[in-house]
Amino acid sequence: MREERLSNQSARRRSLQLLALGVVLLLGGCGGASVSVPPALPIPLVDRLPLAMGIYLSQELLDYAHQETIEGSGDWTIEFGSAQTLMFDNLLGGMFDAVRPVAAPDAPGGDVDGVLAPSIEEVQFSTPDQTRSDYFEVWVRYRFQLYGRDGGLVGEWPLTAYGKANARNYGMNSREPALQAAALAAMRDAMAFFTVQFRTVPAVQGWLSAELRGSDTLTIRGSS
Amino acid sequence: MKAPNGILAMLSVVLSVPLTGCVTSTIQEVREADTGMEAHESIVVLGRRTLPSTQETEFGFVDCVTRNMRGGSRGIKVIDEDEFRDAMFPWFEPRTAPANTSDLPEIINQPNLAKRLEELGLRYLVWVEGDTDRTEAGGSLTCSVTTAGAGCFGFLTWENDSSYEASVWDIRSGASVGKISSDAVGTSYMPAVIVPLPFIARVRSSACNSMADQLKTFLTTES
Repeated sequence: MREERLSNQSARRRSLQLLALGVVLLLGGCGGASVSVPPALPIPLVDRLPLAMGIYLSQELLDYAHQETIEGSGDWTIEFGSAQTLMFDNLLGGMFDAVRPVAAPDAPGGDVDGVLAPSIEEVQFSTPDQTRSDYFEVWVRYRFQLYGRDGGLVGEWPLTAYGKANARNYGMNSREPALQAAALAAMRDAMAFFTVQFRTVPAVQGWLSAELRGSDTLTIRGSS
Repeated sequence: MKAPNGILAMLSVVLSVPLTGCVTSTIQEVREADTGMEAHESIVVLGRRTLPSTQETEFGFVDCVTRNMRGGSRGIKVIDEDEFRDAMFPWFEPRTAPANTSDLPEIINQPNLAKRLEELGLRYLVWVEGDTDRTEAGGSLTCSVTTAGAGCFGFLTWENDSSYEASVWDIRSGASVGKISSDAVGTSYMPAVIVPLPFIARVRSSACNSMADQLKTFLTTES
């Protein structure tokens, strides 16, 4: 009987220790999150322009990560860089007949009609605690530079993308999956916005009309 | 040795009781045109992701309606929401999605998009708006853990209110064919004397089941 009582006390003590550990882990997990944009970005469904587009992704863009410390809420990191190659391969692959990476935007070589050089200028995000809502929100400001086949700058324009994700869709421990979903939504929004905006940018229109002289593919949705 | 057996017995009784609260649901239908589907045709259920609304429909509700419409004896082909958005990217993103049926011809008349819609066999688009909110909550419940054991005491109650509306667009005619609204209200209770005993009112699930059943009837019954 005494052994049994001791065994019960020991089991109870172990349960309490586990409970305390659980509480510590739960509290420890209450601050911040570190996510990267998942490689799940679609190809736009548009008529392709009959052009070969060069793409220059700088190392700065490929390494881009937004880090922020929010008082009382810990350290937050959103890593955008690893998704950029897939994003621009899919985006430009859906919009142009051919896409070729180039080593420098101003020296594209002879086999492209132009070069796109994107960069991320600024990232902001907000958490449900900050906005007193259920939503994680992410804003990404891109800047696009378009270079001609001779390496001269044709024009540049900004693009601000936005994504949000409802934390309630992701259960109890929603910080990481919801922030990741908001970042992914922002990337999709950037692709969608770029697709519909590209042919309306004045500098791009001039470049397109020169490159497509004699062609009839200048409508936004490009009906063939 | 008796105490654990007693707790196990209590838990088994608790688990064998159907722990559900009461739910009152209402379904309403407005038909604007005839409907009907052929065997090869499919539909898609999409949650409105309108910018910058924060009244976004939960993924779980859209999934639930999709799943329920696929199942049963009168099950119909329903394309997964994410699969559809990817296949039609970027024309059903928050920034670009058609807000009204008047925007639909611009999409369905594009050869590329029309071809993709045909490949998907899409006949109807179902836009779902609305959400489930907690409208009232009361009571208190305290739990404590001591070396002698753990237990809870108190009483909690809360009311959830689901309100959803589905707008059905016919891709073939490019027009709205009707609307179905599904509302449900239910109160959940959780009394606790050592062990909390939750009586959960499955409000959202009730609204989902009602909407899926009504949509199936609406789409497959020729008026």
